[in-house]
Amino acid sequence: MNRHLPIVVGVALLTSLGPWDLGVRVSASGDARQIVAEAQRRSEAKSQRYEGLLRSHEASGKVTEKRWTLERLGSHGQSKSVIRFVTPAEVKGVALLVVNHTDRASDQWMWTPAIERDRRIANQDRSTRFFGTDFSFEDLEERDVDQFSYELLGEDVIDGVACWKVQTTPKETKTSQYTSSVVWIRKDNYASARLESYIKEQPVRRLNYGDLRNLQGIWTAHVLTMTDLKRGSHTTLTLERVQYNVDLQEGNFTLQAIRR
Amino acid sequence: MRPLVLCSRGRCGLVLALLLLCAPVRQLFAQEPAAPPDMAVALADTPMYWLKDTSRTPIRVLETGSHVRIVRREGNWYRVTYSDPRFGDETGYVQAASLRGDNSAAGLSTSPSGRLSQRGFIDARAVGFPQSTVVDDQSVVADFLVRDDVFLKPARWLQFAAGADIRANSHDQVEDKWRVDTSARGVLRPRVSLRRLAMAITTNHVTLDIGRQFIRWGRADILNPTDRFAPRDFLNVLDTEYLPVQGVRSAFQFGSESFEVVWLPSMTPSRLPLIDQRWTAVPPGIAPGLTIRDRGAVFPDGGEQGARWLHSGRFDLGASFFDGFNHLPDIDATVDPLAQSLDLTRSYAPLRTYGLELSLPTSAVTVKGEASWFTSPNSTGEEYVLYVLELERQIGEWVLDGGYVGELVTQSRPGATFGAERGIGRSFIGRASYTAGPRRSVGIEGAARQNGEGFYLKGEYSEALSPHWRLTISGVGLGGQETDFIGQYRRNSHASTSLRLSF
Repeated sequence: MNRHLPIVVGVALLTSLGPWDLGVRVSASGDARQIVAEAQRRSEAKSQRYEGLLRSHEASGKVTEKRWTLERLGSHGQSKSVIRFVTPAEVKGVALLVVNHTDRASDQWMWTPAIERDRRIANQDRSTRFFGTDFSFEDLEERDVDQFSYELLGEDVIDGVACWKVQTTPKETKTSQYTSSVVWIRKDNYASARLESYIKEQPVRRLNYGDLRNLQGIWTAHVLTMTDLKRGSHTTLTLERVQYNVDLQEGNFTLQAIRR
Repeated sequence: MRPLVLCSRGRCGLVLALLLLCAPVRQLFAQEPAAPPDMAVALADTPMYWLKDTSRTPIRVLETGSHVRIVRREGNWYRVTYSDPRFGDETGYVQAASLRGDNSAAGLSTSPSGRLSQRGFIDARAVGFPQSTVVDDQSVVADFLVRDDVFLKPARWLQFAAGADIRANSHDQVEDKWRVDTSARGVLRPRVSLRRLAMAITTNHVTLDIGRQFIRWGRADILNPTDRFAPRDFLNVLDTEYLPVQGVRSAFQFGSESFEVVWLPSMTPSRLPLIDQRWTAVPPGIAPGLTIRDRGAVFPDGGEQGARWLHSGRFDLGASFFDGFNHLPDIDATVDPLAQSLDLTRSYAPLRTYGLELSLPTSAVTVKGEASWFTSPNSTGEEYVLYVLELERQIGEWVLDGGYVGELVTQSRPGATFGAERGIGRSFIGRASYTAGPRRSVGIEGAARQNGEGFYLKGEYSEALSPHWRLTISGVGLGGQETDFIGQYRRNSHASTSLRLSF
């Protein structure tokens, strides 16, 4: 008979900000998998910390904001992360612990200060929208290069920059709401420029990567805009105070730690 | 019928006073202090030197737009660190005028160390009851609550927490006295109560919480039989709040395993429905005209202790032990023929429980379960196993949760207890919630006794009107037989509206 919570969805984690973050060195290989693998390798960091601002633009024009801090330990499918919501005031103190695995879906727990307890998040349907935004849980999961097969579709220009256009298809071992995705990877620095996700032949979501900056040797998009092509709404995720390879302790990524 | 009273005994003035009191609190916490810029960006191609001397050869030239970390300011110079992607960090001096502070570029530590944080809200609620009961014909009850928690973390390993509630109520559910309650043992809700006053010491593997705090156990959602350190306020039996306890909690975490030990020097009882109000149902068979009187409570001496092991990984599995007192009282009823009254005395029986809890995610559903064996160390109370089994599933924007609460009596003994937990036993339970967008949600929760003698159904719509304001409208339907714990409240169906300002 606990009081019903205003927040009723479980939450995945905003760890990896693109399907594969960014690389620096240009590979001469045209092989799609090598391009993606190199991009992933170049974006590896022991840890990461940032402040995120999520702005949801509803079709009606209303804008909702949420802000949080994120700390991540580890990289690419084997990381642990904690998100702590800072604003709006009603969700201040809500914390999420996500433990990622390469061979299965992540384990997730949410600490809710209003009821002073943690609870495991049911997350069978990863197409569920993250806090009602245009990002789904799956969009925010870390991806590993080995979970997909690749095809180089050709070359394209995004925002005046030459890109490789790579189609990615989840392997049978990987469950996904999407039939396939197309990712545009910049040739100059291996940064992701755009990701378009398809259900059958129909594009359903488009993610644009903007405000690219080189931080501690890792090219990082600071503004990510996800558009729900069916609903006509979009959500912008802005990263602030991004920092890699910070000194984080394993003990910060436990159920005991997220209540503090 | 008594007239509709929203603000009795001049409480309107009190509510206004509380609102005024809260205004400065709100202003105090409305804005968190801005952090000084710890990152900066080069406004033009900027030479960087070993020493603060422009006559020397620069060690490098920062390109326009380069981000640097500020170590400190020294007069007209900044000592900065530039992270070279190829050669690593390099530290030197640049002229202050050539940099612009840029917190958004990249961050130094945003560690909570040294941070003062706060969260709170002001909540105004009106509850309407369309039906009267034998003891209560008040049809509208208004509640007002201000809650604030403050956290200070002077060091990474140390945190202080303090929190308080200030309340007002239109139906005499709150004490008149202005005192700070620290025991939570009163019949009425205190006007001002200390909600939290604790210190937490943390190392990589150990957490020690000392003081007034909340301790919650369990993996299930609608009922938690293992949650023994969590007394509640049952002034509204279907809309309860947890009460804090005072003591020491130590937790040891090693990988996926955690071990928790709790010691409380004294027990904190649950707060029962007021005997002259609608959530106290007059038992069938009581002679008409008999007055019910609260003769107080007998609180036990001695402390409470417990331990819990929890594995959190692919699945959650835990076991717990509790040795203390039942926070739900036994009720001793005696008839005073001279006073024509039924006198009720509360006492708190010794209790020892052994609990198990589980949360197992599968590809189809998450299985959640809890069981606790309630035993009576002095062989005076009934002994039983209370268990919950729930299946939870997320489908699109829906979260569905359904299950069963069961009870198995292992040693039957006579006695009367306020059975808020057992009262939902032998019931089917369910909950469904839907997220309609970033600002709106809808939820339904219900329970129905398997013998059909009692049920409740609760629906709620909640919408954020702005970043700080939230409106919640809810309705509760109750039905059943007067001999059933839920059914006895069949005249307490109600609707409520609350407006909350979070800050």
